[in-house]
Amino acid sequence: MDDGPRQRILEATYACVARWGLSKTTVEDAAREAGLSRATVYRYFPGGRDELIDAVVSWQYVLFFVRLYEEVHGATSLEEVLDRGLAFARRSLQEHEVLQKMLETEPEVLMPKLTIESNRTVGLIAGFLVPYLHEHGMADGVEIHEAADFLARMILSYIASPGHWDLGDPEQVATLVRTELLAGVVAEPGPAAP
Amino acid sequence: MNAAPLELIQGPPAVDRRDRLDRTERVARVIGEPAGSATGARVRVIDGALSCIARQGVAKITLDDVARAARCSRATVYRLFPGGKDAVLGAVVDTEVSRFFSALAVRMGAATNLEDVLVAGMTEAATRVTEHPALGYLRACEPELVLSQLAFARMDEVLSLTCAFTTPFLGRWLDQAEARRVAEWAARIVVSYLACPAEGVDLTDARQVRRLVRMFVLPGVRALRVPPRDARGAPTAGGPGRGAERSLQSNRARLTTKGEAS
Repeated sequence: MDDGPRQRILEATYACVARWGLSKTTVEDAAREAGLSRATVYRYFPGGRDELIDAVVSWQYVLFFVRLYEEVHGATSLEEVLDRGLAFARRSLQEHEVLQKMLETEPEVLMPKLTIESNRTVGLIAGFLVPYLHEHGMADGVEIHEAADFLARMILSYIASPGHWDLGDPEQVATLVRTELLAGVVAEPGPAAP
Repeated sequence: MNAAPLELIQGPPAVDRRDRLDRTERVARVIGEPAGSATGARVRVIDGALSCIARQGVAKITLDDVARAARCSRATVYRLFPGGKDAVLGAVVDTEVSRFFSALAVRMGAATNLEDVLVAGMTEAATRVTEHPALGYLRACEPELVLSQLAFARMDEVLSLTCAFTTPFLGRWLDQAEARRVAEWAARIVVSYLACPAEGVDLTDARQVRRLVRMFVLPGVRALRVPPRDARGAPTAGGPGRGAERSLQSNRARLTTKGEAS
């Protein structure tokens, strides 16, 4: 199957969700917005509305992490990955108008979907961090995959709910990275970038 | 340990949101409620509602179910909770949250050093959540109710509530700001492993929690105690500045499990 229409349907559905919310968006809305027939939408998403909404959430979720990856993949150290990644991720979430609107109006629809994604994401972030941890050198007695898993779940926690941390402040991010994230994980957390 | 509830609330919350302050205050009030006949009747209704939720969830229960489980009339339930089902459910949440933090207080209050207080608090929290019958039903059958509380702004409220009730227990070994930071951090760790379980990590097992605390948390607590300027500015080879080094050493002394004044 050609991937063009699928992407077009996702984008159209996203536009509908942005306008009306997750629970009010129908297959008809998405088809109309995409300029396709209802039958075509069903051909790409045989599960109908539920499959379509899940696909849109997954797509936006993956897109977020692709951008995060682009932001940090040029970093030369573990500290830089975390400094840049935390600040960027938090800013992106705050500025994501559709996400913020969904969280405001229908968290009970959105959250279970995000939770399913987050289980997968812990593995992805952990996998991404392993080479940086390897390069950096681990603290005594700390197993690299266990540490990567711990870091990944902490990162998700901080970017979704920073608590008392202000991730818009580079100095606070640097402190967070070198204490709650890395102090027990690596041999010697390095200084913040100038 | 019996609660001196309002004293448990220390430090202003990070964000000034009135609804969260209300929850903290309401929970503190529930903890401090003197046992009386009116309270007894309320508690029977609340416990009746809890047993209903454990069997059939939140969406389907009616006040008749609650009244039956509490062995009282529907009219009595209404007299005690004029707001009906929503009022009962709100009271259930406040009561269970207050019971949760009271149980944590008992465990954390008995600890004699920082490592133990963290292990006790985290293990008790994980165990209470895991073994809670009503919460168990909801996690399995109405997960959206539970999950929507555990991320983004509502999770910030959970963190803030946890800080309000657990910071004082960490304050025996850490100063106020540090205690708040560590309380929030420990809450994050527990929520993360409960909401998104990791293979082979079971936080209801105190030995596993102790391992996690020793490996990841205590080193972070030590690092937090170094003034950020020194920690960031100093080259890794030379280590932190002399002042920071001194403070690090005294921290290590304070943080070790042995040699703690009992």
